[in-house]
Amino acid sequence: MKSQKRSSILRTTKKIGDLIMEYFTKAWDRKNEGKPIAWVTVFTPIELLYALDITPVAPEHFAAMCSARGLILDFLEKAEKNGYSQTLCSYSRCGLGYALSGAAGFMPPPDLLLTFRNSCDVYVKWWQSLAMHLKAPLFIGEAPYVLSEEDLDGYALDFTVNQLEQLIKFAEEKFKVKFDMENLVKRVELSDIASELWLKILNLRRVKPCPLGGRDSASDIFPLVVLQGTDDAVNFYRELLAEVNEKVRKHEGIIENERFRLAFDGIWIWHAFDMIKYFEERGAVFVYEPYSEAWAYRLDKSKPLESIARKILAMGLNIDIDLRIKNFMDRIKKYDVDGAIIFSNRSCKTWSAPQIVTAEILNKELNVPYLIIEADMADPRQYAKAQIENRIDAFLETLEER
Amino acid sequence: MYLGIDAGASATKAVLIDESGRIISYAIVPSGIDFMEASRKALEKALSLHNLDLNDLKYSVATGYGRKLIKADSISTEILCIARAAYKLYPSVRTIIDVGGQDSKAIRIDKHGKVTNFVMNDKCAAGTGRFLEVMSNIIGVKIDELSALHFKSTSPVKITSTCTVFAESEVVSYLSQGYKIEDIIAGLHNAIADRIYLLASTIGFEKEVLFTGGVAKNKGFVKSLSQKIGIKPILPEEPQIICAYGAALTAKSKVSTRNCQGN
Repeated sequence: MKSQKRSSILRTTKKIGDLIMEYFTKAWDRKNEGKPIAWVTVFTPIELLYALDITPVAPEHFAAMCSARGLILDFLEKAEKNGYSQTLCSYSRCGLGYALSGAAGFMPPPDLLLTFRNSCDVYVKWWQSLAMHLKAPLFIGEAPYVLSEEDLDGYALDFTVNQLEQLIKFAEEKFKVKFDMENLVKRVELSDIASELWLKILNLRRVKPCPLGGRDSASDIFPLVVLQGTDDAVNFYRELLAEVNEKVRKHEGIIENERFRLAFDGIWIWHAFDMIKYFEERGAVFVYEPYSEAWAYRLDKSKPLESIARKILAMGLNIDIDLRIKNFMDRIKKYDVDGAIIFSNRSCKTWSAPQIVTAEILNKELNVPYLIIEADMADPRQYAKAQIENRIDAFLETLEER
Repeated sequence: MYLGIDAGASATKAVLIDESGRIISYAIVPSGIDFMEASRKALEKALSLHNLDLNDLKYSVATGYGRKLIKADSISTEILCIARAAYKLYPSVRTIIDVGGQDSKAIRIDKHGKVTNFVMNDKCAAGTGRFLEVMSNIIGVKIDELSALHFKSTSPVKITSTCTVFAESEVVSYLSQGYKIEDIIAGLHNAIADRIYLLASTIGFEKEVLFTGGVAKNKGFVKSLSQKIGIKPILPEEPQIICAYGAALTAKSKVSTRNCQGN
């Protein structure tokens, strides 16, 4: 196996670190001005929060960032020392550990704890525990499970719109803010532009050689998660699209000598970006991840609340498993994927549960080989580097032999 | 003469083959903590057993857990080496189950010997040779006595925990309750067989099935696993050297490819 090829990340991706710092600085500025801060789970209506002049920060995003920067262990251990089990989701342990450590770091303490019951099994109990530790008011939104495309209209949609209206009422009463439809329309428009730009960028990964790799997509997703509805997100994706277009024009791949095009199923393993690099140095590039598409959703500014409600409903983990698998297989073909890396995540059973079915279909129907990697998305103590690299070697060798 | 060397987590195996792919000599030594030293010893032993000359060695391939830490002309992974050896020795084999010191794996190959799928145990030691080493220490028997004792068992105990650490306490508890050692051993073999069965089921069993790896030398365990999967497996005479043999075949094919390119 030839190794040690050039591997890099995009110029624009390198700006993400500063953008994150700026975002947290702004959040603290708002807090100090007496404006409300909401701790949100990542599939909540953040466009609506911005329209209500409430600043969202997301403990899941914070945990991913801490894990990537090697800062997470203090928070995990803090939660564990307080009795939270190591078998709990690592994002939740990080968020709880941060709360128990005084919530005085990057994320300002919350004035509102907002979650939607639309994707994750842990959210509600996690948010209830946070509410207990931080003494902040809690709003739990509900969203029905989507079994078919039709569910995105009709009663499920009406129900979810009603949840959003209740949230508006709750915020207006609690924080003495006034909901402004015009502002929301503007936020929805900005969010839609950012999603459109990002989807264009992802689509360019179909080009060979692929212009944007896994380390880029893993980092570049962040504005879509917490800055949807802001100019900052739109500006970032405009710049990124320009750079990706430039690479496509020059026929320049993100790695040298692209040999294998891979898909990655799962949340990224935030503490193991080295693993992505390990693939890249061996000529394997990630061209598709369902994760990267998770927050890209087109919104219609003429129907702002309905659009947002639909986005909450259509979130990848809130739709039927058959639909999820169908989407995945469509992309495998569209992106001309040679092999799939399936990350079985100790923390996220909602994501990992159907993976064996996915793997079987990949292998039998599409003749695409897969490799299952077991680890935890944020807890570095659950990662066996030598064994994982051993499997990667074997997997790439079998791809080579095909 | 070609050399395949498998630097495994518990043993290092060296296999020497001739131009026809026939095994001329082999040796198995404990890996210890120094793979380099172990591989040197294994090679020396294999050479001296049949008075072979190192100067006749044309090419060597290293495989196994420590493959990057030893000296060889190139490296290959266990998956490919095992598949290559299986195809050469038993062309009708479609599924291979390999249980080694630190990993267990299942490999599916097609009629051309190409790997179509494989699966390895997660980073937990349950379902590997290491599990048996730990347990035999607690019970106080040698690892190579496990097999004979297994066949004395009349009613195996049920080990429910899949974790080595928890299974250890189960074994201690059975011992203190006065259960027979042979019944505990058969219970342990069944527990690993269950674990490996689950692992391999994700890629499915297709006949013929081949068992390889050091743990396949334990006939008691082989019986447990055969019963569990319901297929009588093919068992090589020396299952522990199959992977190293595959590495030697790889070495031979590297040289013939090189010669072809040269012409």
